[in-house]
Amino acid sequence: MARIMVASRLSRWTPHFFALALVNFVGAQALVLGGVTWPAESLGSAGTLVAIHLLVIGWLLLLVLGALFQFVPVITTRPLESQTAALVCLVAVEGGLLGMIAGFVGATGGIPGLSGSLPVGGGLVTIGILIAAWNVGVPLARCRPGSLPGRMVMTGLAFLAATVTLGLLFGSVLSAPAALPRLAPVLAAVGDHALAGLGGWFTLTAMGVSYKLLPMFMLAPEERGALGRGVHVVGAAGFAVAIVAGLATIWHPAAALIDLQHAGEIAIGVATALYLWDVRRMYRERKRSVIELHDRAAIGAFAFLGVALALAAAAAAVHRLDGIAPALVFLIVFGWLGGLGITQLYKIVPFLAWLVRYGGRLGRGPVPRVQDLVRDGAALPWFVAYGAGVSIAAVAAVLRWPTAFRIGMVPVTIATIGLCLEYWRAWHARYVGTAPSVATARPLSTPSSLSAHPGDRP
Amino acid sequence: MNDLVVPDADAVTDALRDVIDPELGYNIVDLGLIYALAIEDGVVTLSMTMTTPGCPAQDYLIAGVEDRIRQLPGVTDLKVDVVWEPPWSPQRMSPLARAQFGIAD
Repeated sequence: MARIMVASRLSRWTPHFFALALVNFVGAQALVLGGVTWPAESLGSAGTLVAIHLLVIGWLLLLVLGALFQFVPVITTRPLESQTAALVCLVAVEGGLLGMIAGFVGATGGIPGLSGSLPVGGGLVTIGILIAAWNVGVPLARCRPGSLPGRMVMTGLAFLAATVTLGLLFGSVLSAPAALPRLAPVLAAVGDHALAGLGGWFTLTAMGVSYKLLPMFMLAPEERGALGRGVHVVGAAGFAVAIVAGLATIWHPAAALIDLQHAGEIAIGVATALYLWDVRRMYRERKRSVIELHDRAAIGAFAFLGVALALAAAAAAVHRLDGIAPALVFLIVFGWLGGLGITQLYKIVPFLAWLVRYGGRLGRGPVPRVQDLVRDGAALPWFVAYGAGVSIAAVAAVLRWPTAFRIGMVPVTIATIGLCLEYWRAWHARYVGTAPSVATARPLSTPSSLSAHPGDRP
Repeated sequence: MNDLVVPDADAVTDALRDVIDPELGYNIVDLGLIYALAIEDGVVTLSMTMTTPGCPAQDYLIAGVEDRIRQLPGVTDLKVDVVWEPPWSPQRMSPLARAQFGIAD
């Protein structure tokens, strides 16, 4: 009986989501290092399209969906609708991504046999997303009254729907432009597509999940009060207004609509500033005086979000927001979302590994702590190298200096591979038994009373 | 199992110190996760909580508590209730645990 209950709290396929996400992340970085693309490259080139979709679908989407499958039950205290659906989602999204990549290569390389795989791939990714939205959306919707993290994830899912809808419109118009002449201008909405995806979906969801995980790990107050609610409401409204007004201006570029779009962008900035202030408050109010490496390293991700906000505000003030957009996207993808992702994986991977390897041994014999599955001294240099590399590459992207950008990406890629190795070691418990545990109320390595009664669970 | 041995609260509490919260890496007794403990005729009844509702390790912790207590001589039955009120907070930790995590009184 106990084992059945245990299985229901573990997202069986989440580690597979993370593993594939990391492979895609390294693959995208290899394309950048290989000179195939960089942030200021034309969006129409095959290399750029492949790299972008590897990053946003292959890396960020799989990372966030894998995390949600594990943590929505934590947020809602309700199980997922289906574990099998998570596997189907994983196969659909990764298979669809490979189809889309083949399609991009085929379309730009004039390989007719491959170009047909683009709509098929896009369709598969959409199916995977719909399955994921149902799997996490139902427990979130049934959780009344919902918590702030749950409401923010639900809002994120709404923006995911908007992102997918715009993506499908792009695909339809590109594949049959003559059939949809009135929709053809939608191709100018790439910025709104990015804002819905990177902002409304990924950023609001990441903020929501962080509102659960950071207090849990740092022993900080979970209740965020008016400030947290403000982040959610102002952020959601800001993204919605900016995207809808931005789309409307494509067909009717009226001054009032443009002003509305700018008002939405200002609201996004205000919500981001409120969030960063609230995160600062969370760190300061934590009960745990010495925090773990993943929470220390995450400060870098929050700093990158702050830098992106300051850069966007400065560029908007001098009407240069469009020119700075590639650098902003890089900062958001690699600095903020990517940084938060790689730092939180450093906690989530060993935690899942502990549940799988040692959960069933609890109470039957000595078990290590989650912290014993990682070695901070080995991981810290990779986090430093990643942050330094992103900083160099971001400055180079602002200056439109491709050589310096690729120099900055060298430590980013090496650090990502180094962290992948650390995640692998944690997953396989390679460090367990190699370092002494910190002192606890009872030394865990020699529980005297347990060793005298080594009974086995039947 | 020796039915003549009657377990006492100290023995049960001591045994529960072998069960750790994996994330915090500290035993559940000194973390303050055990809210109540009663023993009558070898039947152990305890109520406990988790550091957060929906904790993924919850079922492992319950199973670990059950396994550990059932190993004690004289325990004939066991009932574990998971409760959420009052909610756990770091202030429920023992002074030793609070010192470990650098938590002020």
